[in-house]
Order: sequence, then structure tokens, then C-alpha cells
Amino acid sequence: MAEPPSSATGDIAFNLIVFFLVCASVQPDSGRKQTIPRSDKTEEQETSDNIEVQLTRTSAMINGNVIRLSDFKPYLDRAFANKTRPEDRIVVVKSKTDTPYHHWIKVTELIEQAGGVITIQREEEQQVMLPAEG
Amino acid sequence: MKMKRKKSNAEVPSMAMGDIAFNLLIFFVILARAQDDSHLQWQPAEAIEVESAGASKVSVLIDNENKYYVNGQQTGEANLAQRIEGLLGEAGAGERTVLLKVHREVPAMYFEPVIEAISEAGGDLVHIVEQDRS
Repeated sequence: MAEPPSSATGDIAFNLIVFFLVCASVQPDSGRKQTIPRSDKTEEQETSDNIEVQLTRTSAMINGNVIRLSDFKPYLDRAFANKTRPEDRIVVVKSKTDTPYHHWIKVTELIEQAGGVITIQREEEQQVMLPAEG
Repeated sequence: MKMKRKKSNAEVPSMAMGDIAFNLLIFFVILARAQDDSHLQWQPAEAIEVESAGASKVSVLIDNENKYYVNGQQTGEANLAQRIEGLLGEAGAGERTVLLKVHREVPAMYFEPVIEAISEAGGDLVHIVEQDRS
């Protein structure tokens, strides 16, 4: 019987390790590019005409109206119909602090598909003033 | 009287070459693992349109325990922008890609500051997501 020489076992193991390492390292990441204007510019651009999208844990609202995700893009398409400049297509996204990332990604993808320019407005901590006693 | 010096043959045995190479490889693999984030626990969100993320200098990850990591090293929220800016340095346009890997259930209060930090640092944001097959 023709057996491989036992002295070559180390080399075989070494080559196998290199092979699997190369296989593992060439798996490319897939993703979605997103352009978000720098925060200092955003403040200047914000006007009351901007569309406001509010996100909660499970729902999404446009300017205060709850919209189903299937109707989201057609709604935005209509809103952007006569707007060609990027500054007119700004969508302010306000998320409740417990909005999960997968929901946020789904909604912002729909906004970008409709040609919207996303800006983020973080939920501000509200101070509750209690009336002074006595 | 002249003493003859005994010559000793100090050679590395060729049989050990495989073991030496193997140990070197393990050493470099461990060294590389300190820099990457493949050992961290997270599950990507889904998106309909994904593309290859390409090469990047910076990768920010939020794991399933809402902890922040920059290039595999845990960091705090406060110095995220500074660290990202430092890693990006003077890199020109097209070389400022920052990969954002967020566990799908992470709430907005954790991932929105990171998006802001990337935007502040002048990075090109790429969300690492999976292709939605549903």
C-alpha cells in the first residue's frame, strides 16, 4: 500500500489551514450606502416644509399620519413629485428611543428609494417640571 | 599543548519546519483577530437592495448587548467620533468608508449616536445588512 510519508503530515495540515483561512477572509460584506448630511449643515437646512417621518417600535408615521410600509413609497413619490432639488427632498427621521434597527433600516430604505434625503433628529430628553410644594 | 575544539553541528532539524510554520501561523492569526470583529455576537438586519461594501479602514459594531466596538476594540459612546476621525485621518474621498454593523434588535438610542458620529467624522456610511429574501 502507498501511504503518504508521515513526515509530510505537518505540511498537509499547514496547507489545509492556509486554504480555510483564505476561504474565510474572502467572504465580502454586503451592505447599503447611506449619505447623511453632516449635522452642522443639517440645522441650517431644516425648514418647516420638510417631510417628517416618525418611527416607533412597530409603526411609521409621515407628518403625523400612520402609514403602512406598503404605502410608504407611493406616498413619498407623490410628495416629491414637483421637487427636483435635493434640499427640497429632505426627510427628517425622528425615532422613538426603542425603535429597533431592522425597522429603521426598512423605513429609511423606502425613503431613499423614493429619492428622499435623510436627516436624523434624535429624540430630545424632555424635562418635566413639577410644581413646587407649599 | 594545543586543545582541539570540538565542533558541534547546531542546525534546526528539518523535521521541525512544519511545526515552526504552524506556530508562526497561529501567532499571526491571533494577532489579526484582535483587530477584527468576527468573534462578536450580532445578527444583521435585512434590506432589499444590497451591494458589495468594498474595502474600509474603519468598522463600527454594536453587538447584541448594545456595546460599541471600533475595529474590534470596545469603546465608549463619548469618544466614537474622535476615534473614527483619528482612524480615517487625511484619507481622501472614496477612502473614507465606515462599515456600520448593528445587531438587528438594537434600539435607536444606541445606533443613532453612531450614525451621527460617522457623519461628524466625515465618513462614508455603509450599513452592513443581509439581502431580504422574503
